[in-house]
Amino acid sequence: MANLRVSLPGLEMSNPLMLASGIQGGNAAALHRVAATACGGLVSKSIGPEPREMYPGPVCVEAADSVILNAMGLPNPGADVFAELLRTETFSKPMLVSIFGGDAEEYALVAQKLVDSGAGSLELNLSCPHAKPGSRALIIGQQPELILEVVSAVRDAVDVPLYAKLSPNTTSIVDDATAAFKGGADGLSLINTISALEVDPHVGRPVIGNLLCGMSGPAVRPVAQRKVAEISLAMLRGELPDAPIIGIGGITTALDVARFIQLGASAVQIGSALIWEDAAVFDRIHDELAEFMEVQGYADLDAMKGIALDSLEGLS
Amino acid sequence: MSRPRASPRERPQGFDLDRLANSCCARLSTAYSQRGMIAAPTPVPVLAVDAEAEAVVTVWVRVPAELAHDYQPGQYWMCWNPYDSTGDMDQPHHHSEKPYSVGDIRLDQTGVDTATAADTGGSGTALLGFTIKDLGKQSGELTRIQVGDWLGLRGPFGTTFPPLRSGERLILVSGGIGSTPLHMAARDVRMKHGERVTIDAVMGFQNKAEAHFIDRMEGVCDSLTVTTDDGSLGTQGFPTNVLPDLLDGCDVASTLLFTCGPEPMMRPVLQMARDAGIRGYAAMERYLPCSIAMCGLCMVGDRLTCTEGPVMEGEWLLDQPDFGHAHAH
Repeated sequence: MANLRVSLPGLEMSNPLMLASGIQGGNAAALHRVAATACGGLVSKSIGPEPREMYPGPVCVEAADSVILNAMGLPNPGADVFAELLRTETFSKPMLVSIFGGDAEEYALVAQKLVDSGAGSLELNLSCPHAKPGSRALIIGQQPELILEVVSAVRDAVDVPLYAKLSPNTTSIVDDATAAFKGGADGLSLINTISALEVDPHVGRPVIGNLLCGMSGPAVRPVAQRKVAEISLAMLRGELPDAPIIGIGGITTALDVARFIQLGASAVQIGSALIWEDAAVFDRIHDELAEFMEVQGYADLDAMKGIALDSLEGLS
Repeated sequence: MSRPRASPRERPQGFDLDRLANSCCARLSTAYSQRGMIAAPTPVPVLAVDAEAEAVVTVWVRVPAELAHDYQPGQYWMCWNPYDSTGDMDQPHHHSEKPYSVGDIRLDQTGVDTATAADTGGSGTALLGFTIKDLGKQSGELTRIQVGDWLGLRGPFGTTFPPLRSGERLILVSGGIGSTPLHMAARDVRMKHGERVTIDAVMGFQNKAEAHFIDRMEGVCDSLTVTTDDGSLGTQGFPTNVLPDLLDGCDVASTLLFTCGPEPMMRPVLQMARDAGIRGYAAMERYLPCSIAMCGLCMVGDRLTCTEGPVMEGEWLLDQPDFGHAHAH
């Protein structure tokens, strides 16, 4: 049997399959429910300084084949409630705790509270609106200076491993990664959702309650793969420090997992696939991945990590 | 840029609502077969609105007959109201999408205007009635919806009640708008088994003004007991006050109990069923923002109400500490 273990800063996992942030992971019951599957790790819903309600619905739809649109509105119980959850609950899988804030100070405050309560690693959700006056970017993750400011502030506040979750809605994801590493990130998660919009032509208005939305699902997978490859290639060229990448975007099969790993990812996160199969998707993909590696003759994940980059290395 | 406003209530004179309803019906059929419940809501025009009681209406829309035929009692539809009753689409907390149970179905009837039925697909369509009570902003706006307004639909979602066998007895206990799935359950059981089953129902309301569906339930049940909190109709008290009479001396092996209503009512109802040795099932009503296992906010114990409910076994529910409390809508 192939060895699926993954060892990342702050995350010792039995396999590379993680629950993506924003899916089910905002309360203890839901996190335990996913932890009971064959997943290797959990990522919590993004936790902010204060409790937030869900946007009005529809909050999540399939607009076309494999095109998932959502705007949940970062609903979460707030840092104090989630800190209490971390103090009182023990999960059977390692958890990356996702956080967000309106500015660097809020990120640092949330990070401090959650790490004080036992968070062993943090994922910084940079795809949220910011309160920085005068900035031309809609979200923190669209401006490297803001990424640097946020990651640095969290780095100063806590000692645990930090993963910066990058947005695909930028000109150069390598510039964004550069800022994240300069700020002290230990790893990267990518991609977050792609900016999107859907209109209902009968009613004559946007479908999603929040009007604007983010796109995920199998249709975004090739976009995510290209972003992961751009980061990996920059690491090979020495333009970025060698650090773990967690690949995210439309994964529904073990072959998709292998694609991300062959482009340099160390682990993956799975979100939209739960719409079709719920948390049991982890059991299926885990078994498929073990079988794939067995028949391909890969003893462990390192045996195929980055192999698809060979033919891309000549590209700049 | 000069542009018209997307106002739903301004349609040209002589506008053919029936034709629009049929066009949307066909679109609903495609969405249903291709993407099922995950699809974006399909808007259909409201064809009729029946007042049932104070702040309770049934909103009728045309759907493909197969869709009405496949509907199983207990299942819910996500109903999207794209504007509030002033026609304003810019009020974020008025337009929204919430789960509703079907209250009634009219099969083999093509629409409000039977004269056009022959041209519009004949028996290929049915009317689905969503019975809605004003319990908050979104449901409140829906009770004020008008003929011709859009209602976005996706579904059906969730679990159904277990089937009955001929010779068995069904006890139904509803509270308030919990009447709707239980009416559909009674109707379904009666259609399948005719007189070979016994159906006894208890309907609880706050008062006479809220009471609805009494004629419908009398039409499909062998007995109906109505209770009101204030005694303005039927027996004064709660359904739990009259339930012991129905449970007393019944054949426990061949009796099932279905309940739907506020959790503080359903918990003692299921407890009484368990104490009597009767299998009980509840159709749960929880805040279901996404309906597709994404948000994780509708957990009861370790289950999601949206996909592992709304119908859940009483035995299991009674073991969940978070079952039985009042919830916001």
